[in-house]
Amino acid sequence: MSNAIECNNLTHYYGKKMVYENLNFHVREGSILGLLGKNGVGKTTTINILNGFLQPRSGECLIFGENTQHLSPESKARIGFLIEGHVQYSFMNIHQIEKFYSGFYPNWKPAPYWDLMSKLKVTPTQKISTMSCGQRSQVALGLILAQDPDLLILDDFSMGLDPGYRRLFIDYLREYAKAENKTIFTTSHIIQDMERLIDDVLIMDYNRVLAQCPISEFMSDFKRFDFELENDQVDLKKEAFVRNLEKVKNKVELYTYESQDFVQKFLTDNGVAHRGFNHVKMELEDAFIGLTGKY
Amino acid sequence: MEKISRYFLVFIAILTLAIVLPKLYWMAFEKPIRKPFVLFSCMNNDFMIHRIAEGNRVDTKGNKYTLEEYEQKLPMMFVQQLLVSGLLPDTIKGIGLDMHDISKAKSFFRLKANEIDAPVPDLYPMFESKSGRASLEMPDDFFRITWRIDFIDASTNKVLEDKSQMFSGALFHKGFAFPVKQIAGLPTTRKSCDEGYLILDSKDQLFHVKMIKGKPFVMKVNIPEGLKFTHINCVDFKNKSYYAYLFSEKNEIYILTQDDYQLVKWPIEGYNPKNCDLKIYGDLFNYNVIIEAEDHIKVFALDTEYKIVDTYSESWPVKAERTEGKVFASIFPAQLSMTSDKSKFIRFYLALTIGFSWVFLNLLLLAIHFIFLYRRKVNLKKHIADLCIIAITGIFGFIAIHFFQNKFFE
Amino acid sequence: MWKSIIYKEWLKIRWFLIGFTALGILGVGYLFLTVQHGFTFSGGKNYWYSILFMGYQFFNPIKYAPLAGGLAIAVAQYFPETVNKRIKLTFHLPLGENKVLLMMHAFGAGSLLFSYLLIFGVFAGFSIFYFPVQMITDSIISIVPWFLAGFVAYFLVALVVLEPVWKFRFYYLLVGGFFVTIYLQSPDTAAFGPANTGLFILTATLSIALLFSAYRFRKGEM
Repeated sequence: MSNAIECNNLTHYYGKKMVYENLNFHVREGSILGLLGKNGVGKTTTINILNGFLQPRSGECLIFGENTQHLSPESKARIGFLIEGHVQYSFMNIHQIEKFYSGFYPNWKPAPYWDLMSKLKVTPTQKISTMSCGQRSQVALGLILAQDPDLLILDDFSMGLDPGYRRLFIDYLREYAKAENKTIFTTSHIIQDMERLIDDVLIMDYNRVLAQCPISEFMSDFKRFDFELENDQVDLKKEAFVRNLEKVKNKVELYTYESQDFVQKFLTDNGVAHRGFNHVKMELEDAFIGLTGKY
Repeated sequence: MEKISRYFLVFIAILTLAIVLPKLYWMAFEKPIRKPFVLFSCMNNDFMIHRIAEGNRVDTKGNKYTLEEYEQKLPMMFVQQLLVSGLLPDTIKGIGLDMHDISKAKSFFRLKANEIDAPVPDLYPMFESKSGRASLEMPDDFFRITWRIDFIDASTNKVLEDKSQMFSGALFHKGFAFPVKQIAGLPTTRKSCDEGYLILDSKDQLFHVKMIKGKPFVMKVNIPEGLKFTHINCVDFKNKSYYAYLFSEKNEIYILTQDDYQLVKWPIEGYNPKNCDLKIYGDLFNYNVIIEAEDHIKVFALDTEYKIVDTYSESWPVKAERTEGKVFASIFPAQLSMTSDKSKFIRFYLALTIGFSWVFLNLLLLAIHFIFLYRRKVNLKKHIADLCIIAITGIFGFIAIHFFQNKFFE
Repeated sequence: MWKSIIYKEWLKIRWFLIGFTALGILGVGYLFLTVQHGFTFSGGKNYWYSILFMGYQFFNPIKYAPLAGGLAIAVAQYFPETVNKRIKLTFHLPLGENKVLLMMHAFGAGSLLFSYLLIFGVFAGFSIFYFPVQMITDSIISIVPWFLAGFVAYFLVALVVLEPVWKFRFYYLLVGGFFVTIYLQSPDTAAFGPANTGLFILTATLSIALLFSAYRFRKGEM
């Protein structure tokens, strides 16, 4: 199984401010990777580099083996791109835009597009600019499906959408991707959506990668333990196995990759008196905040 | 492709800056050069020089004159004023002064360099020379000369066949070789009478063409072997001694006498029509031929037989030699202009700065850019063209290179 | 694929193009209305005389019309591409980026040329009725630079609009603004004759100017 996307030693700065250094990741063909991170960690930077809209300071990204700064037209035909905010040529209506895009892709499949458009309550000549955010997202999704690309790069597909549309998007996408062995690289702020969609997760923080693995692995390896300290002055934050620690008075939330046994043994060995030790099951969003910290 | 696009843009920017920056500089710093007004005095047989900038009036020996004294030395020029002051003499050089004679002998001709290198009309009105009317009337048709002479009615835009054929035949009969090189005349009704046109054909033959009572009048002028005229200006002087001033390719000045068509060469040298202005003041006693160039003035005083009586010349530093010109020369390697005061045509007039004092600024800018590149740790090989551009075009290239950044990735 | 490109560009500029062409033709019509009026009131011979010997330029009112057309078409075509950086969509199409830009540009310039030729055709047609060929040639020599200025405006607006950094947009406008004035001087009739070839060449070099700023956009300049 080869990599649809491969980024090696990616380094970028905005002026003197470092975005990241020596970032390495890959996306296997047929898998769905979600890039998670707080605002400003470099998600859109990465998307821009992947689409050839930004020259990294050093390092390279390859899509289907080609450097993204010089993608051939053939490769571009196999990549579907959703711009953040569902940006489209909104001076067109849904007929004009389908006619426009269909001229570029020999494998254009109008059926899924019109299927989605039939669910839209718009007039035939209504300009896309007059549609709501959700309706626009439907148009954008329909166009990508009709293009039938092998790789989809979606920058924040959930932006501005209400839950109904988000659910629609995710269901369509996942079904489509798995049925046709498509690869998806996506970013989003709304973590619950990602949980439903992705196979692999890439969590970034300022300047570094915090986690890069299948989501199932992440969810099983990364744990949260809650307990109460007898002595609320005890500071466990600097311990090596502690990835993150939230403490309110003597109530502690401890985030770690280590096993429950390890943690409990540590507390006992170091004489940290505690009670109410509990392994808390997390959703992806909890895990994300646990890993990256609250602001 | 992007690199070529950038170099085209840099070129356009250099071109634009080479027009705008020097223009702004001169607008700020240029000072007028006031040329002296020189006329020959028939009273003291010397040249009277009015220095407008300094406000004094002198002769060639340096004697100063007041305004009244000055005017008295040039009675033909200031006839009206002297009459009013009662200072006009009764005779000069033994000739009694008759107001009618004075007025009849007075003439003024001016030819600027930009009138020669200028677009010319292709159609002219052929006036009726002997209409019997006191004033001239604008004809209804205009003529043009291509492979024949056409008369076109202005209101209908149609060729008048009969008239055209009549005149074409007359020209052809006299040996006119179509097409035409120059049509010279006075296409205005504001002249004392109509003397038609002096026309140079393609073989440099000269013809005098008029319309008399609707019929063509064509006279071929005998030109000595080897004489070629480049420019002809017709005149309408009261004494009717000659039809026109003619300028030869050797920069000689000729006149064509009225009725007997004699070509008389005036003993004038040093006139280059391309960069000099010419003024000829004629009066009862003399012709003042004034040749004004950018850096000098030369005046010939001729008598009524067109013989040289005296000459005067004076020169002064040009714009480039004055302080503001020297400062200019140390900043700008050249000046580009779309207009010229020596021509009415729009062209790309490039004036390279004389001397090399601008080289210092070029080298300084080159060094600055080099340091700038070094600090940015760029691959200098990719910037060699830019450095060459700055070295040659100086401040223009320096600005252009920075406006259109050289940032290319591989 | 080029059909789709032309389709999109046409959707953007169609009303501007049609509007400008109509206004241009009406403008020329008005011009010759003034000529007709002049003929009637001064007489043909005096009207010709004022043009031939008094420097009257009857075509002067349309001096800035081609420039306005070039600006309008360029804005109509390229402004929508900068909203939300939509041009990324075009660059993402399965075509070389420069190729697709040049297709768009060629269509815009071609449409402008078509419009100019129509307007010019009306001008020439009316002129033939009133003036002999020599006077028409002289007026054509005088108005050619104004039409070239329209193309210069079109090319430069594309360059400026696609440039991602505001500082450089200002620089380009500065240079372009002064440069275009070369074409819009008011000398004697037919005085532009010797310069027109050079001006044509300079205009042609600007036809690929937009590739420079588009490249800077693609490389993420800020």
